[in-house]
Amino acid sequence: MEDKSIDYQESLQLINSMISKAKNAYRDTGISAMLWGSVISICSFVKLAEVHFHFKLPFDIYLLTLLAIIPQVIISIKEKRLRKARSYESIFLDYIWLSFGISIFLLVHVINLAFVALQPVAAEYASLAGHPSSFKLSEFVMPLFLVLYGIPTFITGAACKFKPMLWGGILFWLCSVITVYTGYEADLLLTGLAAIAGWLIPGIILEKQHRLAKMKEGVLNV
Amino acid sequence: MFKDLDPILHSQLRLAVMSLLIGLKEAEFTFIKEKTHATAGNLSVQIAKLREAGYIEVDKQFKNNYPLTICKISQKGIEAFENYVNALQSYMKPSDQ
Repeated sequence: MEDKSIDYQESLQLINSMISKAKNAYRDTGISAMLWGSVISICSFVKLAEVHFHFKLPFDIYLLTLLAIIPQVIISIKEKRLRKARSYESIFLDYIWLSFGISIFLLVHVINLAFVALQPVAAEYASLAGHPSSFKLSEFVMPLFLVLYGIPTFITGAACKFKPMLWGGILFWLCSVITVYTGYEADLLLTGLAAIAGWLIPGIILEKQHRLAKMKEGVLNV
Repeated sequence: MFKDLDPILHSQLRLAVMSLLIGLKEAEFTFIKEKTHATAGNLSVQIAKLREAGYIEVDKQFKNNYPLTICKISQKGIEAFENYVNALQSYMKPSDQ
């Protein structure tokens, strides 16, 4: 491209072509989606195995989600360094996922407080009624998490026009409705499957697309 | 009456840079060079002209001991780009005038 004057038609064509090039500046590597799809499905399936086969690991499997923050931070820093342009879309999505992460940890905190607060109430009910209450707060934990999982997934899918993630977000919400009516084991199974369908599989597709695009640009760095 | 086209923007490479930056928060010099297929020297000259006109902001930093130039469109640049596109549209639809 040179410093030359152009006619009106060429100007409009150039503007359109450059705007579409800027639109493609943001390309998700899919690594974070793969990481969290794997972590959440592993946690759900291991917990399911614990409940179903009546054994207990010496640690809470959900601590794995805390450990996964370390590679997530490394991935985010690396991706930020490699990013040569920052689109408004990428900044918006970064904030969406950050607020999602904060919301998850706040939800865990609130649920833990609710469990502690409900214990004396359940004990009092059992002593008055002569039998334990049929209400189990744990039955409503998974639906709450699934509602939250759906929000950033759906927004990302819609903003990036990436249908696997858009449908993934809808699947999380559908599973959220279903898990209100199913038992704890089914809740864990559905959560694990939804994490695979909503994050892991879209993440693998995104990673493949990213790799192909890099190959096309002739700068494949594995 | 036809509106006058901004001479700063009515140049292939400068218009390409502005069209690229209008959809982005900021972009590195290498990204702009890659997308416009311009030579580094020519691009530097055109970026300097856009900066002098107040259409873009240029931030020079260092990354791993290498110079890093980050370009960002300014408010004045956004307005100039919008005016340029409006002027172009008035040329394309002369019957409306």
